[in-house]
Amino acid sequence: MILERLKEIVGEDYATDDDAICTSYSRDQHFHFVPKKKPAFVVRPGDREEVREILIFANENRIPIVPWSTGINVRGLTIPEFQGSILLDLSRLNKIEINEEMMTATVEPGVTFALLTQEAKKYNLRAAYPDAPLTAGVLTNNYLRGIYQTSVIDGHDHLLSFEMIIPNGEIIQTGSRALNRDLPYFRYGLGPDIAGLMSASPGTWGVVTELTLKLYKLYEKRSSYFIGFEDVEKSIDLVRKMAREELVSSCRLVDNQSWLIGMCGSFEFEYDKLPNFVVCLLIDGLDGIFQAKDKIVRELIEDSGGRLLDIPESFKDNFERETLGGTERSCMVFGIRGNYHCIGLYGPLKYVPEYYELHRKTAREVGIPEDYVYFYVNPIARFHGQLCYVELDIFYDGSDFDLAEKLKEYNKRQMKNLLDLGIYGWFRPYAGIIEPSIERAGYLTELWKRFNEVVDPKHIMNPGKLW
Amino acid sequence: MEKEEVLNGIYRCAKCKLCTITSFHPREELFPICPSGEYYGFQAFYAPGRLEILKGILDDDIEESDELLKIIYSCTLCGACYEKCKEITKVDLNFSEIFEEMREIAVEKGWVLDAHKDLIEKIRETHNAYGEVQSRYQRKEGDILYFVGCTSRYREKEISESMIELLDKLNVNFQILEDEWCCGSTLLRIGQVEEAKELIEHNIDEIKRSGAKTIVFTCPGCLMTFKKNYPQLNVELLHSTQFIERLNPNLRLKNLGIGVTYHDPCHLGRHLGIYEEPREILSKIANIKEMKRNREQSWCCGSGGGVRSAFEEFSSWSARERIKEARGVADTLVSACPFCKHNLNDNSDGMKVYDVVELVNRALE
Ligand SMILES: Cc1cc2nc3c(=O)[nH]c(=O)nc-3n(C[C@H](O)[C@H](O)[C@H](O)COP(=O)(O)OP(=O)(O)OC[C@H]3O[C@@H](n4cnc5c(N)ncnc54)[C@H](O)[C@@H]3O)c2cc1C
Ligand code: SF4
Ligand code: SF4
Repeated sequence: MILERLKEIVGEDYATDDDAICTSYSRDQHFHFVPKKKPAFVVRPGDREEVREILIFANENRIPIVPWSTGINVRGLTIPEFQGSILLDLSRLNKIEINEEMMTATVEPGVTFALLTQEAKKYNLRAAYPDAPLTAGVLTNNYLRGIYQTSVIDGHDHLLSFEMIIPNGEIIQTGSRALNRDLPYFRYGLGPDIAGLMSASPGTWGVVTELTLKLYKLYEKRSSYFIGFEDVEKSIDLVRKMAREELVSSCRLVDNQSWLIGMCGSFEFEYDKLPNFVVCLLIDGLDGIFQAKDKIVRELIEDSGGRLLDIPESFKDNFERETLGGTERSCMVFGIRGNYHCIGLYGPLKYVPEYYELHRKTAREVGIPEDYVYFYVNPIARFHGQLCYVELDIFYDGSDFDLAEKLKEYNKRQMKNLLDLGIYGWFRPYAGIIEPSIERAGYLTELWKRFNEVVDPKHIMNPGKLW
Repeated sequence: MEKEEVLNGIYRCAKCKLCTITSFHPREELFPICPSGEYYGFQAFYAPGRLEILKGILDDDIEESDELLKIIYSCTLCGACYEKCKEITKVDLNFSEIFEEMREIAVEKGWVLDAHKDLIEKIRETHNAYGEVQSRYQRKEGDILYFVGCTSRYREKEISESMIELLDKLNVNFQILEDEWCCGSTLLRIGQVEEAKELIEHNIDEIKRSGAKTIVFTCPGCLMTFKKNYPQLNVELLHSTQFIERLNPNLRLKNLGIGVTYHDPCHLGRHLGIYEEPREILSKIANIKEMKRNREQSWCCGSGGGVRSAFEEFSSWSARERIKEARGVADTLVSACPFCKHNLNDNSDGMKVYDVVELVNRALE
């Protein structure tokens, strides 16, 4: 009966309960933490009205809905928790509209960063990019409050407004959309910041069917520098200056082994011969401004005590292209050992040495080999509170189930340690990360749950992914 | 491959889907690369989905269904996904090989498509994939053997005729097996390893008897099968374009004055790494322009891996996509594989489609 109704809504070819098709959505690379589970149905709606009808039907019948845009979230967020779930594959919704005048893009869930880049480039515009592969969904990434670490200067928030269908079929327009759907360009419209409340959530409020985001200017003038340091303190000093002066578009502090490979776009280099820590900088801008910034940055590099690294030009090209045009090579981190695990968090730059030390110490305690343990940091504009995204990474072989057990122990200990040390927040909420924080957050989580209850009283929206 | 090895490979898949598009930078244009995924849409029809299904099969955690068979057999085994993956995420499995192995497992379980059963029957009866009465050539001289293959023998005959004419014009002494059977490629690609054995044994005997030292193929599928599935014969194996390139300095070729674009056959390009020889030759006789998807990132014509015989609509769609791309670049599309030509020609909507040897034969003064 369920399948029949789904087929009625979307057409014969777009709904199925076939075991093999369901299997293909049943696991992602986070499977040691979120075990494989098959949805009972997969449905691929073709427009928002079909999405709405599916939600109303699921809500009436209390069937769990798992929204899926491209499934590249690396946290098991589209793996169902409950028997009988409907996986809502939204990839057929892929309309995109660039508004050059407003410097915005309005996208549906199936639009990838690659498609957005291709279209925006026609107007000399670009998006703010995550390190996620450019096959990932733009809507989801912005809705999930991604971290756009390729270009620090863009800041943290690119989402202007969105349209969401909630389980009872009502359609919510956030920000200026609420008053006029043709004017979706302002984050704050009537009343509270509903977009703020409902974003960064793993499909647990409703389904976002359209989202408007900011685009930025593309400049032809670019230069990049890689500066090596043997100790983390000194490297942080350079990062601090860069972030405070707002001189560079991209500023990343990485170790010499992991993310640097993707930024350079090649496995073929003696990375281990480089200093332990590398600060990667990219400058761009209008001609005269670019020259001035470039000059100051070079002076600051000279004073930093770091070593300007002699990196092949093709590596620099890759870094510049992917920073301002979407990343393809960041996925090389999977090529290191086959899988990667990370704890992503926000915190002040001055804590970075301690985060790093703690990372190594906890990994050592649980028996994770030292050469599996890496990290990366980038400041976020504007730099109040020394806001940084910090990623504590472990690169491992996914088929090593013993190591996976150690990782679980690492997670448990490390999250507590980090909360004790002090962090601003985790990189987007999901079940594994909320649990250890609930007690500290006090009534906030209670309130959050109550709000959620109002919108999704029957708990059909991706249940189990938050709590 | 051992089950454990395959599973370890599958665990490396990050589900990043980079294998579904051509390299984005530096061109910054989006082109899909997986025909079956683009056509059918569900995750199951892209490489990461297929890997998950293979895991399900190995773990005995999947139910047989028509859809499952469609997923297993609608992959053209083009290998485009692997070219992309091996550069970045490095899943340590050659996907066209592994998806072929998935079919071998399917065959063991009795999961065989009706269309493929018909094909097997035809080959059993006639020893060729088209069920035709065997045609014979009387060519019995020399160290060089031209292995004709089923498609240029029974469907795209201009290719074998051009090849023979070309060899004659160049005074090359060559033989053609009087009793050449299907090389077995068609069966092997659909997982029918046992069925292919007799064909292979027969051809080996014939080749040994011929005393040939070099075998030349116009069909990259046959060539790949000889290289991959036949035992070492101590005979040199060459594709027609390699053979022609070798003769190059002695060839007097005129420029035909036509604009062409070249379609890389999957077997020749991605599977055997032969990209440059056809281009070298074509650049001497025509004005060659590249399509955006070329070499390692070429879009498959849609016919390989038993797809044309089982999923005609999908196979034709895939060819039409290629024709559309080619039309934007040149008037004439050239390939170096009879099976590609067959499918592209059937869906060409008036576009001229040739094999390299046809044009070389025309250009020989
Ligand atoms: C190598 C690598 C690096 C990465 N680096 C970054 C990074 O730097 N920054 C970053 O932000 N991310 C990063 N990611 C994580 C991830 O790829 C992205 O966040 C991505 O945007 C997830 O999008 P998706 O379209 O694949 O979402 P999906 O996996 O399809 O969905 C993710 C979640 O959103 C929900 N959802 C999906 N569609 C909708 C919808 N329309 N409405 C409501 N809910 C929905 C789903 O139910 C799920 O809970 C990285 C990933 C990889 C593999
Ligand atoms: S590129 Fe490789 S790792 Fe990524 S989804 Fe494809 S097969 Fe998996
Ligand atoms: S081999 Fe070709 S058709 Fe098969 S999954 Fe890979 S890209 Fe798709």
